[in-house]
Amino acid sequence: MHRLVRDHLEDIVAGVEAAPVSEHLQACEECRNDVTAMRAHSAALRELRAPDDAEPRPGFYARVMERIEAQGPVSIWNLFIESAFGRRIAVASLALALLLGVYLISSERAADQPTVAGQQTHPAVVVGEDAPGRVIGQMDQSSMDKSSNDDVLVNLVTYQEQ
Amino acid sequence: MSSLSGAIPFPATKDGTRGKTRVDHRNSDEAALVRRVQAQDEMAFREIVERYQSKVFSIIFGILRNRNDAEDIAQQVFAKIYFSIRNFDFRSSLLTWIYKITVNECYDYLRKKRVRKLVYESDFSAEDAQRMETSDPAIDPKTPVDVRLAQRDLIVKLLSKVSEQDRSLILLKEVNGHSVEELAAMTGLNENTIKVKLFRTRQKLLKAASRLTRIRSSGN
Repeated sequence: MHRLVRDHLEDIVAGVEAAPVSEHLQACEECRNDVTAMRAHSAALRELRAPDDAEPRPGFYARVMERIEAQGPVSIWNLFIESAFGRRIAVASLALALLLGVYLISSERAADQPTVAGQQTHPAVVVGEDAPGRVIGQMDQSSMDKSSNDDVLVNLVTYQEQ
Repeated sequence: MSSLSGAIPFPATKDGTRGKTRVDHRNSDEAALVRRVQAQDEMAFREIVERYQSKVFSIIFGILRNRNDAEDIAQQVFAKIYFSIRNFDFRSSLLTWIYKITVNECYDYLRKKRVRKLVYESDFSAEDAQRMETSDPAIDPKTPVDVRLAQRDLIVKLLSKVSEQDRSLILLKEVNGHSVEELAAMTGLNENTIKVKLFRTRQKLLKAASRLTRIRSSGN
């Protein structure tokens, strides 16, 4: 749609056209088609006007208060249940929780699996009694069973500087 | 139709008041009434109901054309107002806020009921049809009533394709007959923004209509 028509659209749709706009509409098929369709929509929208005597039945306020009492204050959960957006958030949160759960379980399983001997060497610091703080070697993780782990920990805890 | 990027500059209005209109909705009688309701004054709420019940009922009846449904939804609208008025922030007029709630309730109802053929489910009487023929001088009286009802039905469907705010704005303009200046005052937006929003909404309605036509023609 051309600028001239766009700038005066509300007037044009209402049926008020300045001479330059009328000339443009006669010459430009695209604008003419759009304006025709928009006028049709405008007319259809005006059909949504209710008759002047459209009124609720007497006692409307009392019925509103009855409904308010029946409904009570809105629960926070209603926001999730009743609105489409809330439902989407709830579904997305559940999916995220599920994904996190799967990730945690799979990562824990991976951590529980024993490492194949000789494949990986982790540095393990062993402190010698004669020279504190000196790294005396690296131990193969596979050769370091639970009891030797405990021994090292006991040595570290009970070590006293001489 | 060409697409637009960014805000469209609209020309100044005749009195040179381009982009004006800032209404303070915090210091009006209406605001005082709202504050009383927020302070849980039931008489103030009654005043709001009595002041706006006809308007709310008319909006709903205009869209649904069914008095029982209109009554039911109008009650629900005021129940919503009662529970959510503490969140009313005075950025727009109370009427704009109520209007938006009302139109949303109508569309929630339509979505839930999956109403497709509104006209045939409505209690649209011969008297209503007669009134319709003489109601709006801008509408061509030669157009048969059934065609106009079908157009009305279509526009209700098309309006479901635009955002809540755009829908309320174009209904306030076309159905309630508010001018751009009045809409600016009611919404707290400036006139240029209102014009841009109305233009974009009209564009969206055109696009939705052409999509619907394509779907219907491909279905045949």
